[in-house]
Amino acid sequence: MKQINIILCGIGGEGLVLMSNIIGETCRLAGENVISGEMHGLAQRSGSVIVHMRMGDEVLSPLIPPGEADVIVSLEIMEALRYLYYLKPGGTVITNKRLVHPPGETHELVMGKVEKYVEYEGVLEAIKSTDAEVVEVNALSLAKKAGEVRAQNVVLLGALSAALSGSIPEKSFMDAVEETVPKKAVESNLKAFELGIDAYES
Amino acid sequence: MSFKDVIDEEERDAYMLCNEAIVRAALEADVQLVSFYPGAPQTEILDNFEKAASKYDFKIEVAANEKVALETVAGAAMLGKRSLTSMKSVGTNVASDALYTLAYTGLKGGCLCLIADDPHAHSSQSEQDGRWFGLTAYLPMLEPSTPKEAMEMVKKGFELSEEFGTLVLIRTTTRVNHQSGIVPLGPMNRTPFEKVSWKEMKRPYTSVGELARKGKREMLDRMEKIRKKMARSSLNRVEYFDGKELKDKGGDGEKLGVVTAGVSYCYTVEALARLELPAKILKLGVINPMAEEMIVDFCEGLDKVVIVEELSPYMEDVVRRSVKDIEIYGKRTGHFSEALEYDIPSVLEGLSAVAGVEPPFDHKEHCKEMKKLAEILPQRLPVFCAGCPHRATFWSLRRAVGDPDSVFFANDIGCYSMMCLPPVEWSDTLLCMGASMGVAAGVQYIAKEKTIAVVGDSTFFHAALPGIVNLVHNEDDVTIFVLDNAVTAMTGQQSHPGNEKKAGGREGKKLDIRSVLEGLGVEKIYDISSYEVKDNIPIIKEALEHEGVSAVISHGECALYHYRNYRRGGGKLVPYFIDLETCESVHACVLNFMCPAISVMPEEKGKARIHQDICVGCGVCSKLCPKGAIRSTATIYGGDNKPVYTVEDYEKYVEKKEAEG
Ligand code: SF4
Ligand code: SF4
Repeated sequence: MKQINIILCGIGGEGLVLMSNIIGETCRLAGENVISGEMHGLAQRSGSVIVHMRMGDEVLSPLIPPGEADVIVSLEIMEALRYLYYLKPGGTVITNKRLVHPPGETHELVMGKVEKYVEYEGVLEAIKSTDAEVVEVNALSLAKKAGEVRAQNVVLLGALSAALSGSIPEKSFMDAVEETVPKKAVESNLKAFELGIDAYES
Repeated sequence: MSFKDVIDEEERDAYMLCNEAIVRAALEADVQLVSFYPGAPQTEILDNFEKAASKYDFKIEVAANEKVALETVAGAAMLGKRSLTSMKSVGTNVASDALYTLAYTGLKGGCLCLIADDPHAHSSQSEQDGRWFGLTAYLPMLEPSTPKEAMEMVKKGFELSEEFGTLVLIRTTTRVNHQSGIVPLGPMNRTPFEKVSWKEMKRPYTSVGELARKGKREMLDRMEKIRKKMARSSLNRVEYFDGKELKDKGGDGEKLGVVTAGVSYCYTVEALARLELPAKILKLGVINPMAEEMIVDFCEGLDKVVIVEELSPYMEDVVRRSVKDIEIYGKRTGHFSEALEYDIPSVLEGLSAVAGVEPPFDHKEHCKEMKKLAEILPQRLPVFCAGCPHRATFWSLRRAVGDPDSVFFANDIGCYSMMCLPPVEWSDTLLCMGASMGVAAGVQYIAKEKTIAVVGDSTFFHAALPGIVNLVHNEDDVTIFVLDNAVTAMTGQQSHPGNEKKAGGREGKKLDIRSVLEGLGVEKIYDISSYEVKDNIPIIKEALEHEGVSAVISHGECALYHYRNYRRGGGKLVPYFIDLETCESVHACVLNFMCPAISVMPEEKGKARIHQDICVGCGVCSKLCPKGAIRSTATIYGGDNKPVYTVEDYEKYVEKKEAEG
């Protein structure tokens, strides 16, 4: 398989590592080589986090070089922009339709150090000002629709699988979801996954 | 990847984190005793062994510190049992006293010590290079590049240790420990745990004076034997990159050679691929003793050799010593940095400069452009979690102290270290585990201001006790704060001697911090509940006014730990909310407290709001709001005593209110 590089990013404590585990498991099931570079160790939530996922026979480095990621999947839009320098020219950004103000930003706002909050539209515009292809997914509402609020990451995974449909079979993704999430949440997670695919395609 | 794979008996491929693969390999190699102190980037080794302890009957300890952990595994190895410890880079400093002498005494064997370095200081106080421990202690050291290699080296390491009767070191870095990949699961050849007779294998492990001199000679002989044995080890290998792909066999006449090890090897191969640059690669897996003959042979016929390694020029200086009449490039020539971790672009830059070829893509320029777009973003730094007891304790401390410049604040290592980061930036020192006590001793002699020393509970047991003994004995004037949050929080809530649980969640003996301080002779000890923020102010003031050693123990479980247990026990979170009719945008909750659950609503005159999905309901913000605008959602539904209301309930309530207009 040709090399595929994916950046997953978001906010600490939001299931990014689970997401990368599912992708890794997907590749194993599909018989593809895969490696990832993660950040573990800071227990605190609310920090910015990034996972590098790489597929293909010749990949060795756990870090993707800037400008070489095919896809960025972001659980929060500010993080998509923060790590946009990893995206290759013309790459795809799949972002959750959601913006979370860091506590530090609120502090600066109240202190009068900044005039206003950064807004979703502004961040989206900045991303779109490049030649990136942007796919927005309202993961929260789709996860709710699937009956599992916590499955926002799986919704985005569905969107990612649609983006990779030429290279990795959807079936492997679904098997990996089934293997990785708790038994009682399998059905809702698969539903969330499918809604993610639809969201990418529409 | 999941813990399932670590203990799966089926022999198949699995996708695993390197730290999991290390545990798997040690289990396959029949390890019988493990002991650790948690610390990034190696904590998941302990975490996975803890889980595996419910299935296999090896012995496991969360040790009070790395030195104790190393001594513990050495004890097992004196009786010939396979044992393993791992520690973060700086943890090895703590363990090194035992480490250096164990090299003299040797061990019956099967003993591994993994040293996990952290180039870039992602989660450490320095970029310390642990390879020097191998060299200066005369201990063999292996370094893997990938999870798969780590597995092999753990198994080989045990064999090497037993064959030569020595402790064996394995060196990793953050990007190896936290790398996942496909690994082959081997057979689980475990034997049941059994005691053995010391009498039958008795021999002295003693080192002093003449015994040490004898031990040194034996150690040197041992290293010489290991050097011979490892000179052509398959862990060191030569590969050829033909401009497109890696080959085992050479093309002809490569003029460029690269000597590399660890994760730098991964970057090197991919950098060569991007440059389409043919080169011969010596990939070292044994980094002590270094295979000098192999290096000499490797360089034969080359015009240039480049050494690619993170941190210090450890391998480079060996190459410089061993090889003559060839151009040698590395840190000494300024082509590579001794600071920070590497990646493909940084290695590519060095290699292209040496080879005189143009890089195909200007990574730096690209980054500059794209990062300019991101300048509109605020930083997203890690902060104390919603409901964190530390935030509450520091709120009270700050109010008790008044002007932060009126005290010398010696901080220590733990989640509370974050006090030194923006926007708070309140810490005068932050050195290493337990250092707050020693620093405070010196400062209190000289500084006119009051000296306070803060330490967490896990760090208290790890390295602060001698410092406290010292303060008491010398009748110093310092107020100690022990932040008792029940667990080693920063690394993921492992147990420690002050917790009733020991490794693997089994019942242990809890050491009571107050009793320890009393036993050490601390004159004034105050217990406070972290969350009683207002009541705590006068108590802290009293402690600060005491001349001599006083201690404040702030009790409040780590919020992640506490609320996880609470939920598992069937409890439901009861978040707080801000009553918009009462809120006057005073922002005490934001300015002085900064809980990540709180933001403001510009569209509502800047009034604050509490995010119901983040708030855990600790209630501290409600205590410090001067307007009384923050209340528990329980009050909406019928009383604080009935915390049966969930986030979902609250959302429904809000929806209903909105529908009503
Ligand atoms: S992990 Fe625990 S102690 Fe650390 S910041 Fe979070 S709540 Fe506080
Ligand atoms: S009650 Fe207040 S301080 Fe506590 S978690 Fe909720 S918002 Fe944060």
